[in-house]
Amino acid sequence: MSGHHISSDKTLLGVAAALLVLTILTVGVYYIQIPAPWNIVTAMGIAVLKATLVALFFMNLYWDERFNSMLLVAGLAFFGLLVALTLLDTLFRTEVIPAF
Amino acid sequence: MADHSSSTTHSRFFQHHFVDADQQFATAKLGMWIFLVTEILMFGGLFAAYIVFRLWYPDLFTQASTELNTFWGGVNTVVLIGSSLTVAMAIKSAQLNQKKNIAINLGITLALAAVFMVIKYFEWTHKFELGIFPGQFYDFGGIEHEKANVFFSLYYLMTGLHGIHVLVGMGLMGWLLWRSLNNHFNSEYYTPIEITGLYWHLVDIIWIFLFPLFYLIE
Repeated sequence: MSGHHISSDKTLLGVAAALLVLTILTVGVYYIQIPAPWNIVTAMGIAVLKATLVALFFMNLYWDERFNSMLLVAGLAFFGLLVALTLLDTLFRTEVIPAF
Repeated sequence: MADHSSSTTHSRFFQHHFVDADQQFATAKLGMWIFLVTEILMFGGLFAAYIVFRLWYPDLFTQASTELNTFWGGVNTVVLIGSSLTVAMAIKSAQLNQKKNIAINLGITLALAAVFMVIKYFEWTHKFELGIFPGQFYDFGGIEHEKANVFFSLYYLMTGLHGIHVLVGMGLMGWLLWRSLNNHFNSEYYTPIEITGLYWHLVDIIWIFLFPLFYLIE
């Protein structure tokens, strides 16, 4: 089973510690109350960083075949397309508000 | 020559339509990643709805999120990070043939998932007591916004779908724990732990986004 990367305890614990620190950071930033829109930008930036750490080192994409990373990126790209095309409608309505 | 087992020692779970165990492993992982893409797109519909409504009613989200308990949301974030760590440790244990540690780590993962769901249960029932129900059943006077029910419809749908995934994950962890206790896994074969781990990490990632989007709005 030569192709399988075995993560060391140090790596796994290090990633978990980084995720913990980033969680504390995002809660801390929330209490500081940065003015909009930077509060959302910061919160989402930290979330993206955390998700990237999980994907690279817990889901092993860093050592894995690139094809699996490509699938993830493709999924996210299509999600981006969904959001972008939806907003082209919902942000530019003259009568904005639906019944619900 | 027809006796495959003479050349190399195959795991009893090796399927002979694969070239070798590595190909079987890589194929299972590829399949799981394709499934995870469909998961991202399923949750993606709800995230898109969230973005649309947050841009329509920014004030609603600031007001309504004060009803959510940041402390317990944060605890659940830490709980899920811990469970992602133990899944990764279970895989590492399998790779190193430490069979007892596989079961221990899977057991801790299962327990942490249960803690997450118990916290979620208390969060939801507390809201039900206040009359915070989704959609037309919304019956709570504490938020001065006519669309308050919309926020909580999104909250229940997104945390609910995520919660269902945690429950499914608990079932899978229980199954893996049972198999590990029956000595099914070793350094040559641990594919089910690996791909269930991928699923579990994705569930963790979804929560990593749900936490700031619902609990951390000023």
